[in-house]
Order: sequence, then structure tokens, then C-alpha cells
Amino acid sequence: MIDKKMPMGRAVLEHNQLLPLLTRFNIRLGFGEMSIEEVCRTSGVNPDFFLEIVNAYLDKGSHLMEELSHFSLENMVAYLKATHSYYLDVALPRMQKKINQLLDLSELSRKEINLVAGFFNDYKQDFMDHISLEEKEVLPYILELEKQALQNMPDSGFIERLKNYSITAFANKHDRLEYSLENLSKLIIKYLPPFKDQELCIGVLRDLAELVKDLIDHADMEDKVLIPRVVELEQRLLHKAGIS
Amino acid sequence: MNRTGFILAVESYLVRKGLVATLNRIPGTLVVKEFDTAPGLMEFMKPGRSEYLVISQTLFDEATALFLSPGHLLERTILVVDTDTAAGSGNVKVSIGTGESKDAIIRKFTDILHSQGDQPAGAREFGLTPREKTILRLVSMGLTNKQIADQLFLSAHTVITHRKNIIGKLGIKSVSGLTIYAIVNNIITIEEASSKHAE
Repeated sequence: MIDKKMPMGRAVLEHNQLLPLLTRFNIRLGFGEMSIEEVCRTSGVNPDFFLEIVNAYLDKGSHLMEELSHFSLENMVAYLKATHSYYLDVALPRMQKKINQLLDLSELSRKEINLVAGFFNDYKQDFMDHISLEEKEVLPYILELEKQALQNMPDSGFIERLKNYSITAFANKHDRLEYSLENLSKLIIKYLPPFKDQELCIGVLRDLAELVKDLIDHADMEDKVLIPRVVELEQRLLHKAGIS
Repeated sequence: MNRTGFILAVESYLVRKGLVATLNRIPGTLVVKEFDTAPGLMEFMKPGRSEYLVISQTLFDEATALFLSPGHLLERTILVVDTDTAAGSGNVKVSIGTGESKDAIIRKFTDILHSQGDQPAGAREFGLTPREKTILRLVSMGLTNKQIADQLFLSAHTVITHRKNIIGKLGIKSVSGLTIYAIVNNIITIEEASSKHAE
């Protein structure tokens, strides 16, 4: 368990899986002896929120994700958006570059190359569609919901909309993006002929595994923290308006 | 991927929140709504809902009317009782005792999830039917909906419905993604797969 007083440098050295989180919080390296709390304050990050995310990330099994419920949805939405940018701007382009490199150096048949390259292109498109739906519809709806819930007199138009719409409609259709990537790993490990440059191939597999884990955490945060909170807020707002 | 929905009707705040926290730890579950009194629940539980109902003995007794009407709500009801152990009780197949261990409770919920798709844990086939597998195979070979319909003596509309169901179950939209799924699940070989991808 990591706490606020711990030097940020030590936390990251001991748990290097935290590295990808730093950029999402817009935290820059070069910590010196600054504690987590100090680094967070200078980067404009709520240190408690940072710690919850970090501890949830490190210890998903035993950490109570519901602790995150102390934070505003706005906090959470900002973090989810930063994570989306990380996937789109960093993780996926890097993955694609490595996969292309691997395919270029391989002795696979044209068909096998097309299968993998085509898969990744389609995957990227599905991924962008998935994120664009969330960013254009779902997240703005959540922010509006929280805004309305904080008002004494929620907007009647919004309440009307709420009578016929619930986040559960989205939740039921919320695809898991990691399954396809797991299939790609399986394809490489079991079904494609061996690659000439095995180290490069292992690098791709490692990156895939890391991304899969990250996507699982991300989806769990959406499904198990964000959505239940939103459902609760929807009910509270309807209750307040005298509807349920 | 479809999630299994749960509705919670338990008057005790602590017990209810404990159940929510427990369910939230199990992948593939979604707590759709919570109730602490019977009337709200009875209003909400319209016929046709497919969620599981987790209900306390007290609210179960108060909401008896729900369970008299036709439908199979009893099959999907999990009774929460104030004991250390709980086997089936009355007409309800699954019961949870508030004194039971975390592991025992999680096991009961996961058993419910697994019984749904008739698939063993870990097998990510989400219960594709034999017909869906056949269609997935033909899709992966690069056949169009029309060609699949002709080959299987189905209407194009039926083929499209099957494809939608396959996508819904697997959470994979693209043909190339479905093809790779079909290869790694031994539904098709690489040699048989279409070479059309990404041309």
C-alpha cells in the first residue's frame, strides 16, 4: 500500500507498473525527494484521488474499488479521458509500429500478414469508435448528471430525459476491448509459424499483455465504479423530482 | 459483452451495500437497481425483466404477489437469510446466509453466472450455438451474408440476426477480429480463413 508521505521517486522505482499512470495525471519525472502529496499538489492533482487510483491499479484483488466513490465524477471522468488519450496517442500507435516491424521482418505468407495487419487496423477503428461514443455521449451525460444533482432545482428537461434513459443501457452494450487483443496473442503464440526475430515478437507479446491488463483495469473502473455511481445518482435525482 | 444484471432488495443498508460490493468484485455482473422496501420493488419488477433478484426474507414475504404471477422469477431469485449457512429454502433454489464467508458467497454468485451460458469457467465462447459457429466459420471464410444464406437455406435477414448475436456474445465487431477468434478457438484453420483481409 502506498501512502501520501512516501517519496514519489521511491513509489515509482518500487512499482514501475505505475509509470504509464504518470502521464495520465500529467505528472512529470524528476521528483527529487518530493513526497507523493507534494508532487500531486504541484501538478494540480488531488493526492487522495491519485492514491486511490494507484492502489487500485497495484492491488486490484484486495483493494476496495468502492473507495473511489468518495471522489466527484468529474475527477473520474477527467482521468478516464486522459486514459483514452494515452491509448489513442501512445499505446496503440506504439503497438502498431512494433507489429508492422515484426511483420516486415517475418517470413509469414501474404495471407498471414494481411490477417494480422488487417486485424490491427480494424481493431484500432473499433477502439476509436468505442472511445468516441464514450467521449461524445456517455461522459458528457455523466458530467451533466452530476451538475444537475448538485442543483436545488434540477432542469426539468433533463429529468424528462432521465425518465427514458439510464446509463444501464450503455453498460449493457459496453464491449470489452481486451478480448480481441488476447486473441491476437493466442494467434501469435499458438497458430502462426515462428517469427525470425523472436525477441521482437516477445516484445510485442509483452506489450499486448500490458495493454490487456490496463484495459481490464480501465473497463473495471468504468463498469464497477463509474456506472454504479451514475446509477445511484440517476435514482437520487429521480427521487428528488418525486418520480421514483 | 452482455453482463448479468442483479436487482437488490434488502432493507438493511449494511447488508445491501455489502452485497453490492461483493457483486462488483465479480467480473460480468452489474447491479441495476437497489430497493429497501417492497412497494418500490413490486412496481419495478415488470414481467419480462431478465435480471436476478437478490432479496431478503422480510421483503420476500412482503412481496409475495411478485412470485405468484406467471414467469420464472423464482428461478432467478436469490434469498438472503440471517443464518451462517444457507442451502435452498422453500421454493427458492439459491440462498445466501448473512453469516457466510466471502468465498462461499462469491462462489454462489459465480455458479449462477456460469450456469447461464452452460459453459465451464474460463471458456470464453459465451455459449455460441452450433448454428452460430457454422455462420462464424463461413464469415471467417469470407462469404457474404447472401452466400451464407444460400448455403444454409436461410433468409439473409436470419443470417444478419445470427451475426448480430455472435457480435453481441463475443464483443468483437470486425470480420478480421471474428476470423482470429475463429482460428484461436479451432472453428477454422488459418488455411481456410479468407485472404481478403486488409487487401
